[in-house]
Amino acid sequence: MSDAQLRTPFPQRAHAALGDAHLQEALTIATTKFIGLRKESFAGYPAGEALRDRARAIKEATLQHLDRHLERLADNVERLGGHVHWAATGDEARDIILRLCRDRGVRMAVKSKSMATEEIELNDALEAAGVKPVETDLGEYIIQLAHEKPSHIIAPAIHKTKGQVADLFSKELGGRFEADPEVLTAVARKELRQKFLEADMGITGANFAVAETGTIVLVTNEGNGRMVTSLPRIHVAVMGMEKVIPTMTDLMVFLSILARSATGQKLSSYTTLVRGPRQPGEVEGPEELHLILMDNGRMRQIAGTLREALYCLRCGACLNVCPVYRQIGGHAYGYTYPGPIGILLTAMLNGTAAVKDLAHASSLCGACKDVCPVRIDIPRMLVELREHVDREKVAPWSERMVFGLARRVMASPAVFHLGARLARLAQWPFVRNGRLRGLPLFFGQWTRTRDLPPVAARTFSERWKDLGRP
Amino acid sequence: MTTRADFLGSLRREMAKTRGLFEARTASPPPDADLALETVKRQMAERWPEALTRFRTEFERIAGVFHRVGRLEDVPGVVRAIAAEKGARSVLSWHPDALGLDLRQSLGREGLSITVAPDIDPDAEARQSHRAEAAEAEIGVTGADWALAETGTLILVSGRGRPRSTSLLPATHVAVFDRHRLLESLEQVGIVLEALHADPAQRMSGAMINFITGPSRTADIELTLTRGVHGPKEVHAIFVEGR
Repeated sequence: MSDAQLRTPFPQRAHAALGDAHLQEALTIATTKFIGLRKESFAGYPAGEALRDRARAIKEATLQHLDRHLERLADNVERLGGHVHWAATGDEARDIILRLCRDRGVRMAVKSKSMATEEIELNDALEAAGVKPVETDLGEYIIQLAHEKPSHIIAPAIHKTKGQVADLFSKELGGRFEADPEVLTAVARKELRQKFLEADMGITGANFAVAETGTIVLVTNEGNGRMVTSLPRIHVAVMGMEKVIPTMTDLMVFLSILARSATGQKLSSYTTLVRGPRQPGEVEGPEELHLILMDNGRMRQIAGTLREALYCLRCGACLNVCPVYRQIGGHAYGYTYPGPIGILLTAMLNGTAAVKDLAHASSLCGACKDVCPVRIDIPRMLVELREHVDREKVAPWSERMVFGLARRVMASPAVFHLGARLARLAQWPFVRNGRLRGLPLFFGQWTRTRDLPPVAARTFSERWKDLGRP
Repeated sequence: MTTRADFLGSLRREMAKTRGLFEARTASPPPDADLALETVKRQMAERWPEALTRFRTEFERIAGVFHRVGRLEDVPGVVRAIAAEKGARSVLSWHPDALGLDLRQSLGREGLSITVAPDIDPDAEARQSHRAEAAEAEIGVTGADWALAETGTLILVSGRGRPRSTSLLPATHVAVFDRHRLLESLEQVGIVLEALHADPAQRMSGAMINFITGPSRTADIELTLTRGVHGPKEVHAIFVEGR
């Protein structure tokens, strides 16, 4: 997200998205389709529910010995001839890659889809250093040509129509292309095939890393992940430290639910296991492999309120079911990771002040928790974040004042009854057609988009008392 | 610059502050990987026919094209037919030792250009020329180390004479396998991989394992499913009955 867009407050960004009829349609179609595919996939997979429990337990158990697993991973990657780098911040991760580019004379880097490199805004840094970054996932390629950001974790360009993509390709690649996904995909294939063969460096994220074998695991559908790890002479993988899992046996548990949650596939087209750089008998594969293990705000959540968010597999299922995401889409959130899990990850990576508005961009309906493959209790953490932004006084003073007042009123029956009587008198100028509308001052922010039932002429407790019941 | 010691030191300080959210265990790998592998092999020696049926169903569901032949010697005929259908002239193949079959002998005389992967430790020049040939090839013929019935997945281990790109760069991928390669579940794949990694230096010469589940696909433009975005547009599996 550009700084200009971030300077626009969240309510305005959301409002703009709500007014975009095309976006609304695209979001409805995409999220509805993903929901259906996921549902169908789990319906035909009775073992799925138990596997979700196991996957959740593996994530928690791994975090309980994370230091040991990271050590094993690093030892094994190095034993296989790879290099391991430790990055406390996103800046540091970026600098490691830029230094590699400089030292190795890298001019072009092909990338397979990676949220971790989005998170550290690697492309801008590479460009500034004179290295051409080429996104090769079709969706990422489209938004890179359009100078935009992904709007969904697994379908980055769902906000674009085929007509827009055809115009974009025609303008950027020269030519006149039909607005047909088949044609446009063929154009990208040809264009990017050349880049795979020419690039000096391949940059990926990692869906998992298996500690006991030193294996980096990539899950893709297009095959770009395979190209990027097979053809250029250097492979760099950037990975959040929480992505490590202990063994191949654990990996199978995750593979059995990941694609089902994301796209409803039993497995994605390609699951690629990379174990070190090219080995002596091989005719292909990189000469050098670098694994960057990144903290960037994750570590302080090991014992923090967002620990559970470290289980996240980045499948995108919680985005599709979220009534807020479905209305506003990914861009309105304003940060790398959108949707319910995105709010938590934004708080983790950018600090709680970044989510003072976003923490409220949820109806707390719990749909996200229901579909999460590792059952992350997202609503609980959102409530805790709300409490936190209130306590730390990052929430606007009017909001804190109103909720502080409400807390005192609710806590004492006497004050509550008095409050009801006062409200009954004070509300009359604002009651229209039997509803409370257009409240003054900052209360008006509430009634701008919703109304409220007025305080009843006689409250329940007053009527109860009249009935003479105990 | 953050060192390993810094990083792990900070991590341990954070870890010391909490005992975690609940008591939890990771999945347990088999205590003896080789023994577990033997059990899988014994199971599959009996259950392979069901696994093959399931493999075919799942493979076709994801747009794979399934063929069944009696003997290894029948494979070139299937490759020839695929090439004729595609109008393809150039075929790239794993080395005969890895594939169990030399396509040059059977197809080379029929106007098809057959490139076979080197099985010696290749030097820079050999690597460069293989890449150029791979980039041009229209059909890639490989073996499959395992065929997973549950998902219709072909699993290929890279290595000497078994390049990664044979199943990636050509627009059509053809994989050859027999009943000894069939597995029924991801759980069994886990056992097989644990056994493979129990002694990787001896058991795998390459650095990459690919699970291939159908052709390359994308739905990034208006969620319209399109095949062959970067990898193969078509994947064929040839099951060889013999032995």
